[in-house]
Amino acid sequence: MGVMRLGYVHARVTDLTDSLNHYHDTLGMQIAATAPGRAYMKAWDEYDHHSLVLEEGGVGLVKLGYKVEQPEDLDVFEKRAQQFGAITERMSKGENLAIGDGIRIVLPSEHVLELYHEAEQTGTATGTLNPDVWPRDLIGVGVPRIDHCLVTTEDPVLLERFFAEVLDFRPSERVVTDLGDHGDLLGSWMFCTNTPHDMAFIKGPNGKLHHFAYQLADWSEILRAGDLFAMDDVSVDVGPTRHGITRGTTIYFFDPSGNRNEVFSGGYQTFRDFPTITWTADQLAKGIFYIGRELNERFTSVLT
Amino acid sequence: MPVLAVDGTDVVIATRAGEPILAALCRHGYAYRFGCRRGGCGMCKVTVLSGRIEYRVTVSAQILTSGDVQAGVCLSCRAVPQTDTVIRLSPDDTLRCVAPFLAAAASKPSFPPASSKE
Repeated sequence: MGVMRLGYVHARVTDLTDSLNHYHDTLGMQIAATAPGRAYMKAWDEYDHHSLVLEEGGVGLVKLGYKVEQPEDLDVFEKRAQQFGAITERMSKGENLAIGDGIRIVLPSEHVLELYHEAEQTGTATGTLNPDVWPRDLIGVGVPRIDHCLVTTEDPVLLERFFAEVLDFRPSERVVTDLGDHGDLLGSWMFCTNTPHDMAFIKGPNGKLHHFAYQLADWSEILRAGDLFAMDDVSVDVGPTRHGITRGTTIYFFDPSGNRNEVFSGGYQTFRDFPTITWTADQLAKGIFYIGRELNERFTSVLT
Repeated sequence: MPVLAVDGTDVVIATRAGEPILAALCRHGYAYRFGCRRGGCGMCKVTVLSGRIEYRVTVSAQILTSGDVQAGVCLSCRAVPQTDTVIRLSPDDTLRCVAPFLAAAASKPSFPPASSKE
């Protein structure tokens, strides 16, 4: 029972060809399928059909898909979401290419989240029989998998409650204005796997995307990704550096439509009994960018 | 190449073919408020007071609204001057010289250039 992981990000892009240059040629995702105005992409170590849908027209997030462990989990999460007061609807197999039946939920933050159990498995690039450790034909950064997503919400307390009470996520780290009873929640990093975060949100307008992230193996791969961003004229926001929150190493960068991406590595492991870490707002800059300890104006302003 | 001037300052620079406004000013050592540099956030919007700009890539109407276009507002990270152009930054923004040696090294075109027949 439970949510297993972030399965797919469905994002809007202004130009599909430019976006494929970025997500395929620079980041090294494979094109799993195409449709008019759409591309379905997957990373080499993912076994489900796709993890990214690019839809031409506009910028920002269409929806997020999280995969659940058991078919009957969908009924449980649907009931809980409705009891919480969220708008839900059933989605049918085939509404999303290669994705099975599921539940579509409008979050308190107005983002659309889809839960599903079944996805067509097309396998990783190295397979499951005596596999090599990585494929020889990687392109560019060669990202292995999508890792997490960070969005903005007008009411972080409500969204944190939703993910905790409805979906059994737990907060690994929280940022508060004050440690006393009157402190406001500025952001929460929540996990359903053993990573520091599978979903995170900070205070801001509803419905907006801050970034979605790819996992890389280590710090040297982060640096190598940065080198490739220079070669390919990718607009870099911040990094390479390290987050205090999650301890991960990172580069924030932008796709050709201005959607923020991240390459992320490291970070600690979490377990169901992980004690939540608290940051106070006066230390937020160190929490976000541990080494420079300075928030640029883009961090809270550039949202798509 | 089109000349770019920033209203309210004495900054006048020569742009290169295909070079957006923001990139041209950064190349000359100047900076102002910008975000993604890819047309997705709208932080670098400026007003075109005179001149003609073009976009070489698709820009989203979600970011650059029809109202913006009517008001002469452009996405300066993507807008490429086609003629000599004067821009005005938004009232809460200022042009900063962040690399004086670049600004000093650049040849300073006159504006409007003597050869301009626009």
